[in-house]
Amino acid sequence: MKLTITILTFISIFSLSIQAQNCNFYLLEGDTCQYEACKIAEPRNIHYQYSKEYQEICDEAIVRCPDYAPAYSHKSTAYLKSGDFVTWEYLMGKAVDLAPKDYLGYRGWCRYSFFLDYQGAIDDLERLESLIGFETGYSAEADYHLQVARALCYKGLGNKEKAISILEDYFEKSNGDGRLYNYLHLGVLYLEIGQIAKAKTCMEKQLTINPLAEAHYYMAMIFKAENDLPSVKSQLKLAKSQYEAGLRMRHDYTHHMDKVYLVQIDNALGADF
Amino acid sequence: MQFSTGSANLRRVYSFLGFALITLQIISCSAETSPPPKYLRWVGDIAFDPKTDKKDFHLCTPEDIKQYHNFAFGFLYKGEKIALEQEIRSQYKAETAAAQSGWLRIRFIVNCKGETDRFRIIGMDENRKPVTFDNSISDQLLRITKNLQGWLILPDQNAPNDYYMYLIFKLDNGKLKEIMP
Repeated sequence: MKLTITILTFISIFSLSIQAQNCNFYLLEGDTCQYEACKIAEPRNIHYQYSKEYQEICDEAIVRCPDYAPAYSHKSTAYLKSGDFVTWEYLMGKAVDLAPKDYLGYRGWCRYSFFLDYQGAIDDLERLESLIGFETGYSAEADYHLQVARALCYKGLGNKEKAISILEDYFEKSNGDGRLYNYLHLGVLYLEIGQIAKAKTCMEKQLTINPLAEAHYYMAMIFKAENDLPSVKSQLKLAKSQYEAGLRMRHDYTHHMDKVYLVQIDNALGADF
Repeated sequence: MQFSTGSANLRRVYSFLGFALITLQIISCSAETSPPPKYLRWVGDIAFDPKTDKKDFHLCTPEDIKQYHNFAFGFLYKGEKIALEQEIRSQYKAETAAAQSGWLRIRFIVNCKGETDRFRIIGMDENRKPVTFDNSISDQLLRITKNLQGWLILPDQNAPNDYYMYLIFKLDNGKLKEIMP
């Protein structure tokens, strides 16, 4: 208990000092307008993102300094999570207009993951790359590098060759970043265009790093393409056990690309290969 | 004297310019920072509307309706999202829908018994501007959404909860491209 309190106290102090540092950044830049808006916005964190109080604190910050981009972004989160794309696009549009380098990556990621707005996401992520170069950063949850997200958007638009090209380039430049689902996505792309050997290499790497139900399911499909029927069955059984154990692609708000559902595994297990 | 008269004129000009500038500033400020909107308790709250909502739709926790994502249980539908998609796609008729594109969201409440009501629609076109979709699309999707029967109860340690849920439909010329979340 004592340890927990100590840790929580440390985290609170650390968080507060980060916030204070953030506001002081504007002061050091000589921007008192944004500094004051930042200070006004600080207490929002004690309120729920959806709450009236949270929104009103952000509004006060905007009244003090209409150029304070973070306030628009803070306000937008509840609209994003409640599916109100109209208000969310308006608020994030303000944030991006004021600070494109800070918000293009975030808006691009959200456009993809919440609204499957592939083209909108590509436009944002490529504009960001034109401003800051290849290292565009990570998704809000840090599950994806934004180059991987860009590749998935091209897949969403049906351009699998472009998606593969971006992913291959990313793996080369990142020294094989095997973050969570990276090899699974590339392996599925290879499988879909019939490059079975490459698909197998990727899925083996995925299974070594993160043996999700999906990785076993797609490995079963790879064995099916190789006509190795005993391995198909064993991979599907592993897929089912992993799925039931909760080791599958999960997202609190939406669904990942290439996710597999239990009924698909069951249907494949019941199929006559 | 001339200088003095000129100086008085200049003062009048500066006074006028100053007044004009302040007036312009007030106008531009009020345009940029319009008064904060009146918020409900939470963003996305849906108040009862006797014109559209069922009077007998029972809520267990009317003062504390949760969001579907509050407890990280994921998508709460019998048979998972794939079952919901199959139900919707098997009923949606693109051939009778107007050739409109964009996103349509239907937000609603799933109550503590797994029943639904208080459906509300918003739309956005392919240029991400607000739009009202043709009835051939919105009525169809609303009817299908109202008929979905597989919503699961949001569990809690104490008792079942009511929760807000939404479905977003991505449309391309009236065809149903994607269903979210």
